[in-house]
Amino acid sequence: MRQVVDKLVTSIGRVLIGKDEQIRLAITCLFAGGHLLIEDMPGMGKTTLAQGLAAVLGLSYNRVQFTSDLLPADILGISVYDRNRGQFEFHPGPVFSQLLLADEINRTTPKTQSALLEAMAEGQVTVEGETRPLPHPFFVIATQNPLTQSGTYPLPESQLDRFLMRIELGYPDPRSERALLSGVNPRSRLAEIKTLLPAKQLLQIQQHVADVKVAENLVDYLQRLVQFTRDDPVFYYGLSPRGALAALQCARAWALIHGRQYVIPEDIQAVFPAVAGHRLRGAGECANHDGDVLASLVLNSVDIL
Amino acid sequence: MTSPVWKIHRNGLFWLLVAFAGVIVLHADHLPSWILLAASVATIWRIQLYRSAWRPPSRLIKTGLLGLCLAGLVVEYGSPVGLEPMVALLVSAYLLKLLEMHHRRDAYLVVFLAFFITALDALFDQSIGNTLYIIGCLSLVLAALLGLHGSDADGGQLRPLGKAMAIMAQALPLMLLLFIFMPRLGALWSVPMQQQSAKTGVTDTMSPGDFSRLGRSGELAFRVSFEGAIPSQQNLYWRGLVLAEFDGRTWSRSPLSRFQDSGLVQWYGEPPKSWDQLIERKGEPLTFSVVIEPTQQRWLYALDTPKPDSEGVGLTRDYRLISAYPLRSKKQYRVNSWPEHRLEPQGLAPQHRTVYLQLPEEFNPRTRELASRWRKTVSDDLELVSRVLTLYSSEFVYTLQPPLLGKHSVDEFLFDSQRGFCEHFAGSFVFFMRAAGIPARVVAGYQGGERHPDDYLVVRQYDAHAWAEIWLEGRGWIRVDPTAVVAPQRIEQDLQSVLGSETDFLADSPVSLVRFRHIGWLNQLRLQIESLNYNWALWVLGYDQIQTAFLRNLLGDNSLWRIALALTGVGGGLLLLLGFWILLPRRSERSRNQLDREFLRLCQKLEKAGFPRQVGEGPRDYAQRVAESKPEVARELIDVTRMYETMRYAGETPDARTLARTIRSLRINRSG
Repeated sequence: MRQVVDKLVTSIGRVLIGKDEQIRLAITCLFAGGHLLIEDMPGMGKTTLAQGLAAVLGLSYNRVQFTSDLLPADILGISVYDRNRGQFEFHPGPVFSQLLLADEINRTTPKTQSALLEAMAEGQVTVEGETRPLPHPFFVIATQNPLTQSGTYPLPESQLDRFLMRIELGYPDPRSERALLSGVNPRSRLAEIKTLLPAKQLLQIQQHVADVKVAENLVDYLQRLVQFTRDDPVFYYGLSPRGALAALQCARAWALIHGRQYVIPEDIQAVFPAVAGHRLRGAGECANHDGDVLASLVLNSVDIL
Repeated sequence: MTSPVWKIHRNGLFWLLVAFAGVIVLHADHLPSWILLAASVATIWRIQLYRSAWRPPSRLIKTGLLGLCLAGLVVEYGSPVGLEPMVALLVSAYLLKLLEMHHRRDAYLVVFLAFFITALDALFDQSIGNTLYIIGCLSLVLAALLGLHGSDADGGQLRPLGKAMAIMAQALPLMLLLFIFMPRLGALWSVPMQQQSAKTGVTDTMSPGDFSRLGRSGELAFRVSFEGAIPSQQNLYWRGLVLAEFDGRTWSRSPLSRFQDSGLVQWYGEPPKSWDQLIERKGEPLTFSVVIEPTQQRWLYALDTPKPDSEGVGLTRDYRLISAYPLRSKKQYRVNSWPEHRLEPQGLAPQHRTVYLQLPEEFNPRTRELASRWRKTVSDDLELVSRVLTLYSSEFVYTLQPPLLGKHSVDEFLFDSQRGFCEHFAGSFVFFMRAAGIPARVVAGYQGGERHPDDYLVVRQYDAHAWAEIWLEGRGWIRVDPTAVVAPQRIEQDLQSVLGSETDFLADSPVSLVRFRHIGWLNQLRLQIESLNYNWALWVLGYDQIQTAFLRNLLGDNSLWRIALALTGVGGGLLLLLGFWILLPRRSERSRNQLDREFLRLCQKLEKAGFPRQVGEGPRDYAQRVAESKPEVARELIDVTRMYETMRYAGETPDARTLARTIRSLRINRSG
């Protein structure tokens, strides 16, 4: 398992230099069977990461560039009248793929954003009163610009909650940046990436994640973490049970990709910022704090024992 | 996020199907052939389902298949009562469930059904070969269970089987333990066997055709070991049943109550009944022990005149042996027999005389007439007997394929067809004797047997035989076998030497090795398999007897309430242990807390050395941080943390002592 993951990471690492940790988190998210939100400034490699993931996993892949004039039908599909056959025919939209890359999701209107809601939550879409199942597996990898950027509509909390993880890429370290600047543009290597993990095997791994053992006192630890976000006045609101469940699921997947059949406290700590970051909002003097900062605050305030 | 639809993986399905095939083959000999066909269809369907080539059966089709199976079972068996229909029902449920595996739990159900059905086969056959096959089959089912838990990524198609074998090997000691200590409680419930029991073995009625039917079967009846030499072939009359009632066509057992004596069965260990003095035993007894195959009946077989030497065996008023319970499994019993004996020589009680002279009025007038005519011309009974026997030896033919007889069966046999099997000779002889006023009865049992080179006797169904006993004043009951006059080889050698060339002989046992006994090496092989099976049976049954004795020593006697008490005690003890087992996690929880205390001790130690643990810092991160500053203890530190981690989080048995020792032995200098 570890070797498989290492191979995936190296493979994607060739197009996205110096971001191994984030790549690992992204893989964890997919193994845990959840949707991924990548948030950063333009030009940091968000789209590259999403494309790299799609390539190594060999999933059927569609990309939608979200713009302010995008309509729900542009994502879900539309029925068109076929003159020859004299009936309406459904033209499936880009959402009918195993991996949907929703680029710059917060550039579009809330109406279009919520069109994705059902698809992400239920694995099916309802168009013109008819419910159609989506392929299996179905992942959404969405990228968004920080809210401070102009021309953005913030995602509602309900939709943020649909994403299992949110990761930020951040600036590359000097050495990686140097490598990036002095070599060919790594994005051109995207075409060379081969499928390393067929979809079938991915489904099996998803099953194995559920078998990873979590000791009782780790559940206690997680509950203390969650309780802290609910009790402490630093937080505007605390983590939902779904958020806690997401943290547990991701910790399992994290343990599994590190070759362990059991979860240790460090697993929870490793995935906690990515899982809790977008689900937390600071209050009072912390109101402007970034989610990751809040998450580290929790981790540094609650002891493991 | 929807939960993914469960799909069985390749290796899991492979072992599931292998186990399926194993279970079906195990039961193949008593399943109707259409179930075997249905099983192959189910297998193919299952494989096509996996390849997504075919669709799973719709609700309608499933209902239809279920209906078909039930209808098939009703047509095949009629009544649902009995072991075979029940097994067939389970097997059909098993193969239908195979098509309906939508969830992991369905696959578990299929596996558990397979376990149960496999174990059921032991009810049909407990021979050594079958036992080994059942164990092999269990390993396959276990492999299927293991296969369900693995994944294709584990690699190694054969891995589940290897693991299953290892588990079976580990279970062996427990199996032996249960074998040694588990009391055998055979008679608490009864399993109605169908068909098979009806197909073989001597029954308690005798109509024309019954014994010739047995001649078609090469199945084992019983085996006998003698203490001393085996008597000569013509003396081996295995007496089993006395048939005294005749209704014109069928001879049947007369109920013991017809004797109107007190105490009709003298059980082993009881003081002699009043009628015991009617038996005159002379000379040295023969001692032998018999291992009899299950017959579902109570009667046992022995040489004349027997006295039981085993628990649960009794001597009846008509001098045969019976078992206290129907023979639902193999049984071993020991007998002393006195070949030199006289039975009731002083006189027959009037009510017995009536029983043994009873004849239906309206049948066989020609025989009656001839009997009364001959009665007048001879001076004594013996002369009449020899005259009848001479009649048999003149014209009669011994054959497995006698012609069918009409209403006056004895008349037609004696005067017209003159072809018959032992039941014709014995029946007509007894009828003749009774018509002539001599008390007589038909005796059914076996005659002869095959001498195994290992010095024991194998009696098969085709050795089944019927003969006559007549009572003469001053001599008591004596055996007369009219067949011996017609076909002396039948008595001196065996049935095969007389009728081996007839097509009906062994017709029901087409692959029986007995059939090929003229081929040297095959015969050798057959004898060796036979010997192995006998020793296996002796060992298992012998053990049962030792165990019974052991339990008796332990519990005083084997009265039912004591056994019940012992079982309740053992069961209660087991429940108590189970209770402890359930409480055990709490104990291990305590020792888990102890682990945490030890870890805190380690933290204190490191804090003294100048590395306090930060709030929220996990053990691994902490150890890593300290190790970076203190490379000289890095190895030990990481090892001890790993130990704590696996005990605390990986579910390994917590061992706080070892952890404490390791932590204490850790020496860290204050960083300076």
